[in-house]
Amino acid sequence: MSPRARGLLPILVVLAVGVLLIFTLQERYHQRVLTLVLLWATMGLAWNIISGYAGQTSFGHQAFFGIGAYGTVLLVLHLGLTPWIGMLVSAAVAVVAAALIGFPTFRLSGIYFALATLAYPLIFRIGMDFLGYQEVAIPMVRDRPGLYMQFTDPRANGLLCLGAFAAALLLSHAIEISRLGYRLRALRENEQAAEAMGVDTFRCKMAAYMLSAAPAAIAGAIYAHVILYVVTPDSTFGVLVIVQTLVVCLVGGIGSLWGPLIGAGLMVPTGEFLDASLGDRLPGIQGVVYGAALVLIMLVAPEGLYWRLRGLLQRGRVEAPSGAPAAVDMPARAAHLAGAAGQALLEVRGVARSFIGVQALDDVSFTVREGDILGIIGPNGAGKTTLFNVLNGFLPPDRGEVRYAGERISGLRPSAVCRLGVGRTFQVVRTFPQLTVLENVMVGAFTRTAAEREARDRAAAALQRFGLWPRAHARPGSLTTLELRLMELARCLATEPRLVLLDEPLAGLGAGSVEAMLGHIRRLPQAGVTVAIIEHTMYALVRLADRLLVLDHGRCLAEGPPADVTREAAVIEAYLGKRWLHRAQGLRA
Amino acid sequence: MSAADLVQYVATGLLVGGVYALMSIGLALIFGVMRVVNFAQGDFMMLGMYLTYYLAVGYHVDPLLGALLALPPFFVAGWLVHRALLARVTGSGDAQRQLDATLILTLGLSLIITNATAMILSPMPRAIRTGYATQAFVLGPILINQARAYAFLMAVLLAGLVYLFLTRTDLGKALRAAADEPEAAGYQGIDVRTMHGVAFGVGVALVAAAGGLLAMYHPIEPTVAVNFIVLMFVAVVLGGLGSIPGAFAGGLLIGLVQAVTLLVLPLQLQNTGVFIAFLLVLYLRPQGLFGRRLRTV
Amino acid sequence: MLKVSGLSVVHGGLHALEGVSLEVRSGEFVTIVGPNGAGKTTLLKAVSGAVPAADGRIEYQGRDIGRLSAAARARLGIGHVPEGRKVFPSLTVLENLEMGSYRTEAKRRRAEGLESVFALFPILRDRTGQLAGALSGGQQQMLALGRGLMAQPDLLLLDEPSQGLAPRLVETIFEAIAEMRRQRRLTILLVEQRVVEAVELCDRAYVIETGRIVLEGDKATLLEDPRVQRAYLGS
Repeated sequence: MSPRARGLLPILVVLAVGVLLIFTLQERYHQRVLTLVLLWATMGLAWNIISGYAGQTSFGHQAFFGIGAYGTVLLVLHLGLTPWIGMLVSAAVAVVAAALIGFPTFRLSGIYFALATLAYPLIFRIGMDFLGYQEVAIPMVRDRPGLYMQFTDPRANGLLCLGAFAAALLLSHAIEISRLGYRLRALRENEQAAEAMGVDTFRCKMAAYMLSAAPAAIAGAIYAHVILYVVTPDSTFGVLVIVQTLVVCLVGGIGSLWGPLIGAGLMVPTGEFLDASLGDRLPGIQGVVYGAALVLIMLVAPEGLYWRLRGLLQRGRVEAPSGAPAAVDMPARAAHLAGAAGQALLEVRGVARSFIGVQALDDVSFTVREGDILGIIGPNGAGKTTLFNVLNGFLPPDRGEVRYAGERISGLRPSAVCRLGVGRTFQVVRTFPQLTVLENVMVGAFTRTAAEREARDRAAAALQRFGLWPRAHARPGSLTTLELRLMELARCLATEPRLVLLDEPLAGLGAGSVEAMLGHIRRLPQAGVTVAIIEHTMYALVRLADRLLVLDHGRCLAEGPPADVTREAAVIEAYLGKRWLHRAQGLRA
Repeated sequence: MSAADLVQYVATGLLVGGVYALMSIGLALIFGVMRVVNFAQGDFMMLGMYLTYYLAVGYHVDPLLGALLALPPFFVAGWLVHRALLARVTGSGDAQRQLDATLILTLGLSLIITNATAMILSPMPRAIRTGYATQAFVLGPILINQARAYAFLMAVLLAGLVYLFLTRTDLGKALRAAADEPEAAGYQGIDVRTMHGVAFGVGVALVAAAGGLLAMYHPIEPTVAVNFIVLMFVAVVLGGLGSIPGAFAGGLLIGLVQAVTLLVLPLQLQNTGVFIAFLLVLYLRPQGLFGRRLRTV
Repeated sequence: MLKVSGLSVVHGGLHALEGVSLEVRSGEFVTIVGPNGAGKTTLLKAVSGAVPAADGRIEYQGRDIGRLSAAARARLGIGHVPEGRKVFPSLTVLENLEMGSYRTEAKRRRAEGLESVFALFPILRDRTGQLAGALSGGQQQMLALGRGLMAQPDLLLLDEPSQGLAPRLVETIFEAIAEMRRQRRLTILLVEQRVVEAVELCDRAYVIETGRIVLEGDKATLLEDPRVQRAYLGS
């Protein structure tokens, strides 16, 4: 069965159970609770897209919920438009609002993002109050009430909510197995690494935000018609909406398809029950319970029940992948290389970059020729990683330019640089910890293909090449240092670069592992990949590199074949100090 | 509208801003030292209001004194909340996860406090009646409400004491050191976890005292928190996250913005100006007025 | 005074230190040199408690300190001048020094401590009211050293004091360290990349490479040994 079908089966089962419940529950009260569970699960799924998959915790999703609620009601009131269409219109408005809000806000990070998302629903609330819409009652329709979403039969309401929930489920599932889904999870785990692997994080965040707005608006529209009947700014744009959403998702399991349903199924009936039985004597008991739920879940199981249970059930068991990966046509780069070898691939001219008071790079110029392995060395603080950050796109140079295959790349985003063919690994391995080894590499493969099947095959082939296939379904946390470094290399190579920037790939490796790693790196030019490598373990680099570039205090000290460079006086002085040099020269004299 | 009217608005805005400033200092201190945004700050303020109310009504303690008396018990409460709850989720190293986790934790705490208070005490608003709440000083053409004036003075006094604490005592300097460089602070023998507890305790105590001062002229009810927590956030961001003098200035500024907004917009939209200022600062100059660069992660 | 046995540290998923053993006797000046990435900073951080040890034992004055927090170890008399100085930027020079003497034993001798730091680094005396963040790199290094001294430490850990400093300043700093040693008979563990300056100051030295001690000996032996050059330049 294809993964797509395998994913749909539980969805169909759950929906079938839903239909069954709708038609078997007798009491109105129970029907109502079921309706609420489905509605909040829908809202939870919507929030989950941006805050779960993408990891951008939004405290303002009630803005879209409110747009859905108020939008539909006002359209009925003023234009007589049926909410079946009004719902879609409101959803469209919500998506546009998401684009407008997201555009400036995603440039902010961390706390600023959270605070900014808080502000918008407050503004909408005030706006509605001010426009005179403190209380808008939905006009009752006598004949053909179904056309206006006013059902007398609670089972119809139940089916409506189930329909919305189903749509949200299918949307979430589609995202999960799509390229966007993998990219979102990658950027959630490690935004910088995702960028370096060709993921345009800004566009992905915007896409997720806009996608998450639509189901939220639809949930709001239905909520207004089926539960509220009278919309007020507080009940639609208010804090309780986001609290309900948070509780449902966090208790259930953030970033999962089933978390919102589990959370809603647990918390909504609890809340309703408490409100019904104790609400008169203890007003606000629901709030206390929800608050306590949030606190407890954060202390005990912040990932949520779904993940906690899954972790317990799967404890330690990692299946080895079955069979060998399918053969994949790796692009025949080597042939192309024969003609191109020796041509300038990367040209760095006069690059300078300073931070507050420190000139990290000063007039750095060099060329990397196709088919070469260029080693970059220099004492600590020489500016080597800064140089890579400039080459890669993480930092713009203050002066100078970088050209790759003749095109200027300085100033481009890292994801654009990656797509052009420049790959990067990091000094400290940056994995996507919650993704499996295979999925990590797939993120790289997605740079060259949009199809999940193909990305999976290419990633599998890359793993096979580095001997990592048996570990395909393991998490990075359980890998050895060498395996981690190889995985990062595989992931980088899956983006099919012509040039890779390797930042200290040997750090932390023992002697035997160093040899293995060196072997892999040495083979790269034969496969059509040019290498620029930063390293400290000199004895290794000396044997590996065709040319060495020495940096010190941000300047190029020397460039040339390793044997020459390491004997150069300036280099020895930079590494070991002037006095060592004098002693050495004195001894020889 | 005459110049005198304008001055009146500005004066009122500043007086109110003084109390906002005291509230915001607490939030800024907590954020500066711990990198925690305390959603429950408004609720501790509300509890401070209630404490002051009961002291006034039950023991005839003037709210100015009541606000001061609120300091010790709320310091202890803040310390305990940190020890029992926050200390378990901070110190993980991943700043983003920690930020989300503490935001949600304090949001949950806020819900508990607000709703429990509504449950135990009735939601009916109360007020403290003091002799001077209805009287005003006359300064030329402007009237200055006495309650607001005394609240302002006490707020400034407390803020001044905080300033002295942070700059003249070893403990205060240790707090600032822990905010700057927790690793290096550890090397000097400063226990960063304890510093977090102190910061949280002081932050909560300050906002409770501010609540006591606010209670001199503002109705006391369980839901009062939500109006002010946003103002506090805006003030802190305006001043620059992590800067105490910035938060003080931010609070004053918010009071002014609110007052000036009333010149052109109706009372309902009083906070619109505040929110617009908030968004502008976030987008254009997130480091705020006193731009303290946050420790890069 | 300090005894490290079989220390292993895992940092960021990588094995930063493996089976490191060394010793610093009371009154000694011990240097650890090695290329960058060898694990020198990680070693000091493990000793002062900023980084947990995966395996091994750290004994200070005969006592196992492995479970103690960094602040607790500092209170026992271990001073640490961290890599990159890490002065408190929003505190003044004077406040930084005061924080150096936070622990009780040092606090009592604060005034005396300040005097001797100013005598060693006169430039700091002129700038007591300046914010530490506004100082130059060399001045910050002096401040960091002074802050370390204010703790009246029994064992002082110095992490790459020359890092990021222009050569002339490096000379000054090393001279100051030598002077510190002369004046106070401190026990010092110095970690450095610059071999000669560091080894010339010391009584004994270790060479560390990719997380392991590869060479050990007294000053004279190490300066002659070609393996030191090889560890750095591979040739």
